[in-house]
Amino acid sequence: MSARSAVHGSFTLERVYDASPARVFQAWANIEAKARWFVGPADWQVLERTLEFRVGGRERLRGRKGSGVISTFDSVYLDIVPDRRIVYSYDMHLDETHISVSLATVQLEPEGGGTRLILTEQGAFLDGYDDAGSRERGTRVLLEQLGAALARQAAGDR
Amino acid sequence: MAERSVTHATFSLERSYDAAPARVFGAWADPGRKRRWFAEGEGWQIDEFTADFKVGGFERSRFRFKGGVPIRNDTTYHDIVPDERIIFAYTMTIGENRISASLATIEFRPDGGRGTKLVFTEQGAFLDGLDKVESRQGGWGELLEALGRALQS
Repeated sequence: MSARSAVHGSFTLERVYDASPARVFQAWANIEAKARWFVGPADWQVLERTLEFRVGGRERLRGRKGSGVISTFDSVYLDIVPDRRIVYSYDMHLDETHISVSLATVQLEPEGGGTRLILTEQGAFLDGYDDAGSRERGTRVLLEQLGAALARQAAGDR
Repeated sequence: MAERSVTHATFSLERSYDAAPARVFGAWADPGRKRRWFAEGEGWQIDEFTADFKVGGFERSRFRFKGGVPIRNDTTYHDIVPDERIIFAYTMTIGENRISASLATIEFRPDGGRGTKLVFTEQGAFLDGLDKVESRQGGWGELLEALGRALQS
């Protein structure tokens, strides 16, 4: 019998974007908008992307890393309050190995003319997979990419 | 605009049962068995209990206490290791209001000769001030007692 374990942890990240809550929300809700920032590193290649943005709806993002490893993100939307909040649970697989299950909460608050985004992730890391903070670092990179996508969109509007 | 808030919290509960891991696991995996300790009870009216116990499967229970406001539990199974572990996400809705979204990990460990230690960990997001981790922890504590009684019968 393989050794089974679940290590629980959580982290919170905050960013302020120079874009309205409605616009930041759309960057999560719309598949084309999300595809502009919810991507892997430069040597990563998307294999499958689906998004069914409604409570109970599912999302999948599969991609191949430069190393050849295939990462799969499978999500279920649990709570959606337009322009204010998104809660989802998700699995991560590396190839066939189920490495984690997480609950993610995204809160959007108006701040000045922009938006404060607060992302909280509560997770269970499975069977000795040692995350060593890489999920938090990876999520931080995604929020930077979201900021860059919002800035590009604003520049395109001018 | 309605006030929106989220309180994140985690709690853990442990129980030892005088039953093998396979039997305790089965009390969660078998919808007929789960219904008895999870949903049924004095004063509870069950309006719906539909379970699909598989990874990615969805489960819904709707119930009321003594004709009160409708309560709904929507569960999605994320991870199932037979006789060892179940991880699911669930939301609780009272009336029209979603009060929480949570991730629950249940670990079944051999305990002594033929018993099982169950470790329940919930990581929750409690929404808009409508629920508290203390009452959630108390509710699961009662459910794990009900599970113990069901295992004895």
